[in-house]
Amino acid sequence: MPVQILKERNSGKITCVTLGATAEQGGTRACTITVGGESSLPWLHFEGETPNKPVVAVEVLDRYPEEWNDAVKAAYGDAMKDAATWAKAAVECGGADLIYLRLQSADPELGASTPEQCVATVKKVLATVGVPVAVIGCGIDEVDNKVIPAVAEACAGENLLLGLATTENYNTIVAAAMVHKHTVIAQSPLDINMCKQLNILITEMGIPADRIIVDPSIGGLGYGLEYAYSVGERARIGSLQGDKMLALPVIGTVGFEAWKAKEANVGADEFPGWGDQAERGILWETVTAASLLQSGLDILVMRHPEAIALVKKNVADLMAPSSL
Amino acid sequence: MEKHLITFMPDNVSVAVREGTNLLAAAKQAGIDMSSPCGGRGTCGKCAVKVISGSYDSREDAHLSEDLKAQGLVLACKIKVRGPMTVEVPTQSRLTEHKVLLGSKRTRFTKENDFFATRKMNPICHRYCLRLDPPDLVDNQSDWDRLQNALRKQHGLKDATIAISCLQALPAAARLGNWDITVTVGTLLGVPKVLTVEPGHTTRPTYGLAVDIGTTTVVVALLDTATGRILDKAGTYNKQSVYGSDVISRIIYTDDHPEGLALLQKAVLDTLNELIDGLLAKNGIDPREIPVLVHGGNTVMTHLFLGIPATWLRLEPYAPAVTAPPVLRAKELELHINPDALVVTIPSVAAYVGGDITAGVLATQITRSEELTLFIDIGTNGELVLGNNDWLVTCACSAGPAFEGSGIACGMRAMEGAIDSLEIDRETLEAHCGTIGKIKPRGICGSGLICALSELKRAGIIDRAGKMLPHQNQRIRLGSEGMEYVLVWADESGSKQDIVITEGDIKNLLRAKGAILAGIRTMLNLVQLEMQDIARVYIAGGFGNYLNISDSVRIGLLPDLPREKFEYVGNSCIQGAMTVLLSQEGLAESLDLANRMTYLELSNGNQFMDEFISALFIPHTDLNLFPSLQTECPGSAQALRGEQEGDAERPTGAGGPPPSSQES
Repeated sequence: MPVQILKERNSGKITCVTLGATAEQGGTRACTITVGGESSLPWLHFEGETPNKPVVAVEVLDRYPEEWNDAVKAAYGDAMKDAATWAKAAVECGGADLIYLRLQSADPELGASTPEQCVATVKKVLATVGVPVAVIGCGIDEVDNKVIPAVAEACAGENLLLGLATTENYNTIVAAAMVHKHTVIAQSPLDINMCKQLNILITEMGIPADRIIVDPSIGGLGYGLEYAYSVGERARIGSLQGDKMLALPVIGTVGFEAWKAKEANVGADEFPGWGDQAERGILWETVTAASLLQSGLDILVMRHPEAIALVKKNVADLMAPSSL
Repeated sequence: MEKHLITFMPDNVSVAVREGTNLLAAAKQAGIDMSSPCGGRGTCGKCAVKVISGSYDSREDAHLSEDLKAQGLVLACKIKVRGPMTVEVPTQSRLTEHKVLLGSKRTRFTKENDFFATRKMNPICHRYCLRLDPPDLVDNQSDWDRLQNALRKQHGLKDATIAISCLQALPAAARLGNWDITVTVGTLLGVPKVLTVEPGHTTRPTYGLAVDIGTTTVVVALLDTATGRILDKAGTYNKQSVYGSDVISRIIYTDDHPEGLALLQKAVLDTLNELIDGLLAKNGIDPREIPVLVHGGNTVMTHLFLGIPATWLRLEPYAPAVTAPPVLRAKELELHINPDALVVTIPSVAAYVGGDITAGVLATQITRSEELTLFIDIGTNGELVLGNNDWLVTCACSAGPAFEGSGIACGMRAMEGAIDSLEIDRETLEAHCGTIGKIKPRGICGSGLICALSELKRAGIIDRAGKMLPHQNQRIRLGSEGMEYVLVWADESGSKQDIVITEGDIKNLLRAKGAILAGIRTMLNLVQLEMQDIARVYIAGGFGNYLNISDSVRIGLLPDLPREKFEYVGNSCIQGAMTVLLSQEGLAESLDLANRMTYLELSNGNQFMDEFISALFIPHTDLNLFPSLQTECPGSAQALRGEQEGDAERPTGAGGPPPSSQES
């Protein structure tokens, strides 16, 4: 007797969002990237489609990240001293599908770069790499409200991924993205309702839903990953049930969270049983990413090339059609 | 210790107080009712006064607004008297007459009351005119036996008991009336007790008092219990207000002060006695003529009224000392009525669902039909009851005092000069405000705040999350506590200061309305029903009578249901108390109801929190829950086009309060 596989019929699917713009599309990118479009719970290929595989964005800063873990710094070396060089290395040997450029030096305490200096950095990165670029402010609303609009205007038509739009500052960033044809990241603090509320607020400004990526915030392995998983799962279930205000591709700052963990930072001399520190950090980032891939992450923001290589292999395996 | 004379202006009232006395306490002693929602802890900044002369010590006034500081005002609660003083108390720091909700105006309560639609009156206290057989040498049984026999034979009252004072009066009264005697008998759960005796046969009515002891106000109704006629009503502020505006600050006061509990009990008893004295004097009734008083109130008020410590009501797991207190004698509380009068307390359900709610459910008779009914009492707390003839679920959500005007920059209670309705022009963003008493606005009260929230959203001044959007308009500005919208300019306001709504106020309002809706949704989830399944909504409480339903739905405070499903029931607590006064079955039913209501503790589990966060949005994160609003614009640009629906309910321009507030 043949076995009847029970399948969930879903009415909704994740909106497809394209990042970057080629010359014909008004930009200068060599390629664009499309994420989203899933119509099932993560990786249930027999129930729906996963037309676009999750991609990796490599985190690049516009200042040398002295405080970062030595394992990550060793991977890029001196390239990290210049954002464009770093971005180039990330694309050529780091496995970057796109660049996640953080304009941290705009922070008055980390360099106080002017909006003009920030624009120059972004322009230089765009000129150096052909992949789509995400541009993130320093996290101080008053500063970002000047920097991000300046970047948006100077790079009009590039379809950058601009961030981070929060409940407090979404107005300026979304307005800039709408006028100059970019996409935005809507960031909410690990709460499904607040995530949806921000999406409603942003779409009510008139930006189309296919120009929004959500960053619902995540926790690293051992540091609240289960909350992030749960939020991701609820968002996906809501999306599949037809909630358009949740049906958006999801970005997660995996590297940032994983490399904060104590387990990624204490030496083997302190905890001999924990094994080699560099390897441990890489695995911490890998496992955080792999776990969150199961909650429906579309864009993984990562740091270490070896972790990225492992995650990409995992993604390739997951993308293979399932035997059912 | 040395005493100093403090004179309060412009009243020109003086009071002698000891060195070191707190000025707020001195004002209270002088009989000046000052606003002090925080209970004199110095955090609300409302008890500002101007010291004209005199010496005093003052602590830092961190909570006094810069404006008031500039005007030379100081907070009374922060001042310790060090010598004779003359102090001016400005109007904005005073409690003026509150819009006390006295309940509906029907004089014959039983006529339209749902409880008496199917039941006859059977008051707790009844007066009987009796003819006793005179004793002789053959039949010389006692006077009391004689009275008992007459009650049994003539009125079927078995096993009556009697108050000692009545026994003391009985021999003379029986003989004075030549064995015609009139007695008042109070019957509690089938047990009759003689409460008054007087010679002869009297035709005077039998009186009874129904009392609503609210956190903010106390209301008393005087009834003729034989006919069910409401003879008079009176209401005033609860004098406990000086110890804090909400129940929590009052409990804290009793915890922090050795005599605190006694002071709070005295304050409410004084309030009640003053009301009773006034009512009885006005109607020419002797206090001894009142044989019964039925009162309802929230659980904390009931505890404090009876002098029972309320400390543990505030602390997890929120266990009350008692839900159904015994029936007391008036003399035990020193009430100014017949010392033997029965004092009946309507039973509570839990720490935050009190006798006022039981009374409301009794009066509205939710249990009489199978229709799903929601009962909402929005006051300092939001108490909700959901159910029908089969079951009842209840919960209390801490909405916070925002709807009472507390914790709001220019908030005030619903009294003269409070903005209770407004409209914002979609083009110019000018506000047109209606005030209580149609005088210059001094602040904004709960119903005005609901209106304001709805209007601010519809005019595109705030987004759905309550954040002010950038506008080129002088009314929208950066204030000392973030962005704010100017409702009324200083030159048009009764307080000579700009009346503003700040982003912080909006956040408080969103939390208040979010808590209520989340409570409703959590109860519905428990029984797996949807908002659309609700057939009737009763809105009770002082606030309820001045609530604009369309605006309340628009901000997501009330479920989106056809407007005809909502019904204001006014002060349902006093209606319930009157029901009990007039019906022994009503008393039994109130006990039964309090037992039957399933109490849902919202702080248990995370479902309420999830619902709460999703309700912190205008109207709600799930817009599908508010289908009637879907035709209303999403974006602010479209909002400016405006939509006419619902506007007819509100008066145009700076007219009077909305029609619903005409009562009282």
